[in-house]
Amino acid sequence: MSIGSDRWVETAESRTEGRRGWWGRGMRHWNSLPPLGRLGSLVALAALVPVVVSSDFLVRVGVNGMLLALLAVGLNVSVGWAGLLDLGFVAFYGFGAYTFALLSSDQLGIHLPTLLAVPIVILATGILGLVLGLPSWRLSGDYLAIVTLFFSQIFLELTLNFDRLGVDLTGGPNGISGVDPFSFLGFEFSSPTSYFYLLLVLIALIVTMLYLVDRSRTGRAWRALRDDPLAAEIMTVPIRRLKLMAFATGAAIAGLAGSLFASFQLGVYPLNFQIQFLIVIYAALILGGSGSLAGAVAGGIVVTLVLDLLRDPAQASAAFYGLIAVTLIAKVRPWRTLAAVVGATVALGFVVHVVVGAIWPDAVAGEVQATGVFGSAIQSWVVLPEDPTTIGNWAFCALVVGVIALTRVSARTRTILLVPLLYLAAFVWENRLVDEPSITRQLLLGVLLIVMMLSRPHGLLGTRRVERV
Amino acid sequence: MILRTQGWASRGRIKASALLLGGFVATLALIAAGCGGDDSGSSASGTTTGASSSGKPCNASIGVLTVLTGAAGPQGREMLHWAQLAVDQFNQANGTDIKVVEGDDQLDPAQAATVAQEWASNPKIVAVVGPESDGTVDSAGPILGKAGLAMVSSTATSSRLTDGKYPTFYRVIPPDSLQGSQDAQYMIDTLKVKKVFVIDDQSAYSKGIADVVVPKLKDAGVDVSTDSVSQNNTDYSALVSKVSDDTDVVFLPWMLAANAQLFGDQMSEQGKKAAIFGSDGVFSPQDFHVNGSYLSTFSPDIQSDPKYADLVKEFEDKYGQFGAFGLTTYPATQVVLDAVKKACDDGDSTPAIDAVAENVKNTNIQDSVLGQPIEFESNGEMKNAKFYVYTIKNGKYVIAPS
Amino acid sequence: MDFFIQQLVNGLTLGSLYALLALGYSIVYGVLGLLNFAQGEVYMVGAFIGFGVLSGLGGPTALVMPVPIALVLMFAAAALGSGVLSVAIERVAFKPLRDASRIAPLITALGVSVFLQNAVLLLLGPDIRNYDASSFIPFTSGIHVGPLNVSLIRIIVIVTTVAVMVMLTLWVGRSKLGRSMRAVSYDREAAQMIGVDVDRTIMIAFFVGGVLAGIAGVMAGLVFSRVFQLMGFVAGLKAFTGAVIGGIGSIPGAMLGGMLVGLAESFTAAYISSTFQNVIVFAVLVVMMVVRPTGLLGRPAVGKV
Repeated sequence: MSIGSDRWVETAESRTEGRRGWWGRGMRHWNSLPPLGRLGSLVALAALVPVVVSSDFLVRVGVNGMLLALLAVGLNVSVGWAGLLDLGFVAFYGFGAYTFALLSSDQLGIHLPTLLAVPIVILATGILGLVLGLPSWRLSGDYLAIVTLFFSQIFLELTLNFDRLGVDLTGGPNGISGVDPFSFLGFEFSSPTSYFYLLLVLIALIVTMLYLVDRSRTGRAWRALRDDPLAAEIMTVPIRRLKLMAFATGAAIAGLAGSLFASFQLGVYPLNFQIQFLIVIYAALILGGSGSLAGAVAGGIVVTLVLDLLRDPAQASAAFYGLIAVTLIAKVRPWRTLAAVVGATVALGFVVHVVVGAIWPDAVAGEVQATGVFGSAIQSWVVLPEDPTTIGNWAFCALVVGVIALTRVSARTRTILLVPLLYLAAFVWENRLVDEPSITRQLLLGVLLIVMMLSRPHGLLGTRRVERV
Repeated sequence: MILRTQGWASRGRIKASALLLGGFVATLALIAAGCGGDDSGSSASGTTTGASSSGKPCNASIGVLTVLTGAAGPQGREMLHWAQLAVDQFNQANGTDIKVVEGDDQLDPAQAATVAQEWASNPKIVAVVGPESDGTVDSAGPILGKAGLAMVSSTATSSRLTDGKYPTFYRVIPPDSLQGSQDAQYMIDTLKVKKVFVIDDQSAYSKGIADVVVPKLKDAGVDVSTDSVSQNNTDYSALVSKVSDDTDVVFLPWMLAANAQLFGDQMSEQGKKAAIFGSDGVFSPQDFHVNGSYLSTFSPDIQSDPKYADLVKEFEDKYGQFGAFGLTTYPATQVVLDAVKKACDDGDSTPAIDAVAENVKNTNIQDSVLGQPIEFESNGEMKNAKFYVYTIKNGKYVIAPS
Repeated sequence: MDFFIQQLVNGLTLGSLYALLALGYSIVYGVLGLLNFAQGEVYMVGAFIGFGVLSGLGGPTALVMPVPIALVLMFAAAALGSGVLSVAIERVAFKPLRDASRIAPLITALGVSVFLQNAVLLLLGPDIRNYDASSFIPFTSGIHVGPLNVSLIRIIVIVTTVAVMVMLTLWVGRSKLGRSMRAVSYDREAAQMIGVDVDRTIMIAFFVGGVLAGIAGVMAGLVFSRVFQLMGFVAGLKAFTGAVIGGIGSIPGAMLGGMLVGLAESFTAAYISSTFQNVIVFAVLVVMMVVRPTGLLGRPAVGKV
């Protein structure tokens, strides 16, 4: 127990408010805008994207990003606000998508107009959320997580095999294709750009709605439930009802996202809703900041950008080095040390390259993925063996061990250790990771989850939480 | 007791977080805006040799869209390797500079759509090998079609894909309806079965074949029982014990040969006598070698054919042993390569997408590992596609008597 | 009747695997209150280690030493490797989060699981490895009575599992370390106050969990022959079901629960439908959780205010 801790809590706010410099001033101006103003400016900025960007692919990435953001926002209601770990969230998404597909395709011959189908989907998914929330009455956090996880597994199996039960509701492994695109007010949404704007409007609406809920009594009650369920119950907060509401709201949002997804993809397939995607949604929420609306949206967009843009090796390399640079700048202080580390790494690299190249010419004969000036710089900096697989694998293991060691040693050793480790990271990247983009993406997701939880559990935009333990 | 800070008010975003986020987003935005998706198609492998004296230099990229990670990753990778081999050989022989761009859709149609969109926006990519499955064709097909990109699939077998929805879709393998009906016919006519147990693996491919086989067998008066098992399932003991003693054939139109091998092992463990009949997914000398089994395939077994010994060796040297899943990607890639080169020869060194698509339509390759010439019908199906039935004797694959 | 016995044997074999994994889950949950999602991946790594040893000893068809010794070596190597891996995961990913919220370690465990799967994919490639156990333990050995066929492999698996479970129960019940583990699982702070080395106890718990997972991995290789990167996920899920059904935190509960899940799976596949076997098993769990959340043998949770 530490004395004076209450004072410390009190002064937390003022410590973060007193930042000087242009950054601090900028943030204070930003925070002094009314919330609607902040939202409005962000929306306006986003609206410019399809105009500025020329390729349909990037607009599509934007649509994917906003779908993920919407999902993260929905998950945030259950996990971030009410503290209920919902591991079956992807099933709500799938349910919404399939229900929409059933109402708007040839599967059952029903083609409801969009403005009728979507509310039905939202309602149905919300009810499903209510039903799934019922076990939460008797079950605490861990058990609830398990039950929801198994519900989602059941859902997946059913979508795959329902047609064997007599009525073909789900199309089995073939899914349901030929889903109608959204169309209302005489306008049919067929291009990625149209979906982009539609999603932008929807996200703005839902975020506003949830913001108001957050500030209302319900939002406060959810926070109370999350922070200390027992105390909340004693204070006559209606826990059961709140848990159900949280589940239902999250589910409803997921259902909306599902219907958008079904119409965007013009079909639904069981493979769209695997557990891997659940992990992506969680990664988005955790990265952005569980408990924060802005965080959920930001997390969704950033994770999608990272995953989709990493497909191209050249872009991925730029992102990788950029990410390392950003982390170094954020973590290594003072600036002298940072400069020293970077300088030493660069120097070490060139030295190693020259030495190794002199002894084994084969070891530097490989090719680099990046192009242009940057690429040729990397070429002469990193050792690139002709056949990098085996040595790349050993280097990978060494890198993992090295990173773990980094967290264990003292500050001074850490700075010194950073230099060879950075070079090793570049080595592993250029020789192994960049050649396996699909595996690298998954590795990155896993590492992201671990690192975020260990170093910054409140995510990028979340606020730190006090827990009296 | 331990206390940590809590900020009740949502003011005052901490500087470090904003800096990190800003840096993150800025980096990504720079990449996105600057590169804009039309970077040079970087090759995932393969050395490019210099132009030789024959032919004009031909500079293009082709996309290979398949599943590279996940449960079916190994199969997809094999497909990719065969495509890379075809490209390398072609470049070497013709002095062209055609590159492979790999696309991983993880069997997820949503991802396939994203990759397809990326390629559609990239003018350097002039044709696509793949997509590999029915769901991914459904989602990527419209996007690729809209861009005029020809797609030549080596493994997507659903009969509905050539209904006309995807005018630029071609495939070098026959549809499920053909394999299913030929397999059933073989069982009825040659094996003279009375009782068959059909087990599918819950994939679209498997069900597609089963849905054709079961009615055909029933119509011929065969006693058919059906069941299914997930590909993730690791144990078939319960299913095996359901195989009755008077069952003649257990029909396994499965995607993964190793699973079928386990099934066969567990069958011999429980002393079951029925013969296994597998579809082309099970055809894999490496992974499946249960004596007395039958297998249907649409390309002859090149591993025992001396005519292709060099090809086999070249693949094995570079990529290791292979099953049967990826082989059809080799002729599929050849179709695309030929079309690209023809467009180059007719036009300039960077072929136009429409020209390539047109050339694919008029493909006429006389000799291929499929054991027959490659020509397409107007709906994208291969002309005169054939099936072969093999059987396994003493661990070796031999053509089965008809 | 023979059909029934055959299913019983099948179910017990599967159940053995699940029971070993479930034990790992239960022990860790007992001392730490944490659901270790990474357990499935540790099991997968154990299977690969066993395969590595098998290849090193000449491969399934050309073993350089007698089969029993080869088996012991495989089990030992996998147990040790998995145990060490489990401890490493605990030190790196879970220890710093010991006092954090309930959600944090779960998410970290998810991250570790994804990372491990893909690291193995990167390092060892996507190919399936084959134990091909029938090459060195032929199917003809074992019990063959009429239509009933029980191969030696299955007998080995079941017997080893029972032996392990007996040893574990004795150890936890009698030894000092076992007592420490039980103390920590009842009340961590109180245990610390009376001088139990909590850190070390938790480390041992993870080690034991890893050892069990490694042994289960080799068993899986022997019975199913195939070893691949994604085998950990579904097996982990089912074993987890078993741990929860039996009462998470309870060692006899985990054994019982694991066996029950294996039997349920076998009987459902044989008598009802193989297509829906997973659905039914999971549905049973959900019902179980709602009706009796603490499981069959679990302690009713009494929250101290």
